[in-house]
Amino acid sequence: MTHSLHRCGRLQEQDYVWLLYHVKDVNDDNLTERMRQALAIAEDAGSINWGDVKSGPIVIHSAEEVKAKLTEKSRLRGVFTSEAQITQFLTKMKAADLGLCVIVTGPLQNVYAACRTAGVTPHTINYSIGVFGKKDAIADEETLAITTMCGHHMIPDRYVERVRSKVRRGKTRPQKAALKMAKMCPCGIFNQQRAEALLASEIENTSPEAS
Amino acid sequence: MKIDEDKCTGCGICLDYCNVDAITLLGEVARIDSDICVECWVCYRNQVCPFDCIEPEPLEAYGDVFKHVLSDPTITSKGTGIPGRGTEEAKTNDVTGRFAKDVYGICIDMGRPGVGAYLRDVEKVAMALASAGVRFASPKETPLAGVMSDIRSGKIRDDILDVHVMSVIIEGTIKRDRLGSVLEAIKRVENQIDTVFSLGIVSMISDDDDRPLMETLARHDIPLPSRGKVNVGLGKPLFYG
Repeated sequence: MTHSLHRCGRLQEQDYVWLLYHVKDVNDDNLTERMRQALAIAEDAGSINWGDVKSGPIVIHSAEEVKAKLTEKSRLRGVFTSEAQITQFLTKMKAADLGLCVIVTGPLQNVYAACRTAGVTPHTINYSIGVFGKKDAIADEETLAITTMCGHHMIPDRYVERVRSKVRRGKTRPQKAALKMAKMCPCGIFNQQRAEALLASEIENTSPEAS
Repeated sequence: MKIDEDKCTGCGICLDYCNVDAITLLGEVARIDSDICVECWVCYRNQVCPFDCIEPEPLEAYGDVFKHVLSDPTITSKGTGIPGRGTEEAKTNDVTGRFAKDVYGICIDMGRPGVGAYLRDVEKVAMALASAGVRFASPKETPLAGVMSDIRSGKIRDDILDVHVMSVIIEGTIKRDRLGSVLEAIKRVENQIDTVFSLGIVSMISDDDDRPLMETLARHDIPLPSRGKVNVGLGKPLFYG
């Protein structure tokens, strides 16, 4: 899956996805306990949303509920909002030496800086190269900035366009709308803080006449 | 997915929850075009209908099951054992060595962002990649390989070419010195499809810091990447190449 790779638009410097993976019979010994330890590190570093696609994100269920449902088939993923957070996460993951595969997706300049500070060395990178084909079929950039935060596209373009319109007209608040969107992403990698900031700028960019 | 037309009042709320515009209002009733619907279940999962008119249909045809697995990330692919479109690409490369230092991984997200793709267009891109030398990942690694009738050429089973999915990943490898031919093939085929795709290139980091990759992209007038998915090499036992 590359559901975290191709985010786009403004405020990406406030948006970093973390993923924890394992491979059966390679690094899956005592897995659920090691996942719990890793989750404690992610939470301590300030991950604002995380989840397991099988049981859902913490914006729907409590963190304790998701932790209680961890299994050897769980795959954990979440989101940070600053380079400082991923630096802390990587520093502590390195020290904990859990042997899990750790992946961070975001603007490369910031991720590289966090790796350097944390003392970890990138092993493999999947570079986001861009969109090809019939580009006139895709949504506008402000809509995509939000919809691509759920790479599986469980938040439809048309829904986001409607919400943006409602925010501009004062029919809903950015914070409420962003949280509702986060609940539509089953993996827990939607960054509701960035979405709120993107939606808030809809109001700032709306002239009194236009509203 | 279907809508119970006896209960539907034609309020139209569900239209905003369809990723691919498969729901339309006909008179005072909403209908779902099953050929366009990708079975992502967004409309159903979010319980958007005030009258509970939206309900899943039993998925029996192979193509219907396939598109549901590909389009709904909460479903696990039987072939790979991984949820959703299911490929681990760079994410576990520090312990699997799936992409060694002499190859690049090619990950093409067909239909993305947010457009959807018919498998006939997926086949066009896959066959173009194969002609340029890409070797596709196996059915155990990626669901798409499981529906290829010829994994060397990228040909997809004829009976499912009209299946519509939210997105599907074409994944494979190419020898590093042949990346240019892949980029040329991509530029040719992008004009022959009725959808979009997002391209990812996977590289196990060498001492050259991927300078040759960046130079190849620049030679093909492709902007250098500003974001990426970084496996930070904490998995054990570590694959050194």
